[in-house]
Amino acid sequence: MTQSNPVKRVKKKKEFNPINVIAPLVVLAIIYVGLEIFLRVFNVSEYVMPTPTHIIQGTIKSFHIILPDFLFTLKIICIGFCIAIPAGILLAALFSQFDLLVKAMQPVVIWLVITPMITLIPLMTLWLGTDPNLRVIIVIIQATPIICLNTLNGFTHVEREKLELARSVGATKLQTFLSITFMNAMPQVFTGIKLGCIFSTIGAVSADFVSRGRGLGDRIIKFMKYSNFEESYGCIILIALIGIGLYTIVSMIEKRVVLWKK
Amino acid sequence: MQEPKIKFSHVTKQFETRSQTILAVKDYSMEIQPGEFISILGPSGCGKSTLIRMLDGIIDTTEGDIFIDGVKVNHKGKKMPAEVLRKMGFIFQQPNMLPWRTVRQNVALPLEVFGLKGPEWEKRVDELLEMVGLTEYANARPNEISGGMLQRAGVIRAMVHDPEILLMDEPFGALDELTREQMNMELLDIWSKTGKTIIFITHNIEESVLLSSRVYVMGTNPGRLVETVTLDLPRPRTLSMITQEKFIEYRQLLEGYIGEIDLSKIK
Repeated sequence: MTQSNPVKRVKKKKEFNPINVIAPLVVLAIIYVGLEIFLRVFNVSEYVMPTPTHIIQGTIKSFHIILPDFLFTLKIICIGFCIAIPAGILLAALFSQFDLLVKAMQPVVIWLVITPMITLIPLMTLWLGTDPNLRVIIVIIQATPIICLNTLNGFTHVEREKLELARSVGATKLQTFLSITFMNAMPQVFTGIKLGCIFSTIGAVSADFVSRGRGLGDRIIKFMKYSNFEESYGCIILIALIGIGLYTIVSMIEKRVVLWKK
Repeated sequence: MQEPKIKFSHVTKQFETRSQTILAVKDYSMEIQPGEFISILGPSGCGKSTLIRMLDGIIDTTEGDIFIDGVKVNHKGKKMPAEVLRKMGFIFQQPNMLPWRTVRQNVALPLEVFGLKGPEWEKRVDELLEMVGLTEYANARPNEISGGMLQRAGVIRAMVHDPEILLMDEPFGALDELTREQMNMELLDIWSKTGKTIIFITHNIEESVLLSSRVYVMGTNPGRLVETVTLDLPRPRTLSMITQEKFIEYRQLLEGYIGEIDLSKIK
């Protein structure tokens, strides 16, 4: 056989495009400058909304106070998130092996995704005690269901022909799962993990809000109490940065793993 | 008489859905000799794909027996043993490549599952890639090459473990007319060189006459064998034969059978 029909050229590895980095930075700069001008021109009170410059200055000034809480929250989020990823994927793998289990567990998982864990924190304090490190559990139960749900969705939606291919060569259940079902679900697994970043952050901060004593969530409330609004906003930005950082790391890994999408 | 390579003996397949039972294939029998190239022709829904899926152990039979080399191969609820599956290669209607694997890894998939390792198998993959002109694209991913190239990869994937039987489920149906004709000719070339037994599923009358030595015509509701037509056309076949009188006669004959089926459906 010869190939003579027109063929698409094999794509070369995508070149690094500086626009992808510059564009969001420009937007950020516009927001920064815009806010700065708006707040100064209309003489908005610092109590209502401090200017970006003051937020940064205040945060740097009080950073020694914020740092222990920042590290604490970072630790809670990272540990919880790192446990939630394998937990969510393993649960999905288990459920997907039995049709009945998928049908039985899917609504439960959705129910867990939707329930804001903040509402359960007082109960959990009652059950588990007040050790701040237990907030990891809140993060785990907040993030695991969304990872599980997306992964399960990927595991249960494999093209019939791909499974037929496995069967036509006599692949075992394990071979089929590892080399077809799991790989096929990769994009959804990563969607779940990325949502997991967001849910982990939400979980950790809600736990701080309710249980108090430590963490960035706690620090926000303390600063507010003493009218240190610059620092409060600074803490909010730091929380967002943790989330963005995790999300970016996951996206980078995704690009290296899921090579077949675009 | 020689023992048939493949034998279907009163094979029936029923699918149970929630609301009803569908008789996909009813009491189907046929015998195929080693090295034959036969077509199964029929409209969609006549159970022709179901037939070769039962043969390749993808789905169970409901009743009847299937023999390969005289040995019964279908056992309800049991996976077909690897030594039987190794005798067959399945080519899907879509290329059915795994997008996360390179072309080469896709082609080598059956080797992994059958546990065929070593330099001789590596060499075979290279030779097959070479044969279909994909050497240059061995490390490309499926989304980077054209539909025709993907289908070629699908063909050699089915051949990589050196099966004696090729099962082709409307393999070129999704390709454009020109590529399809070219692929058909290439397939005939492969067949004449390797002497494999080929079952070719199609709903295209011309294709079935051009390629095969015998056409099994199937009808719908329930899926069943309507007629067997042996084609007395010389080989090697060429595209120019399409305009010859005898070719046209066969085509019209088959059109007649397919037409009858359609009419009965309308009534």
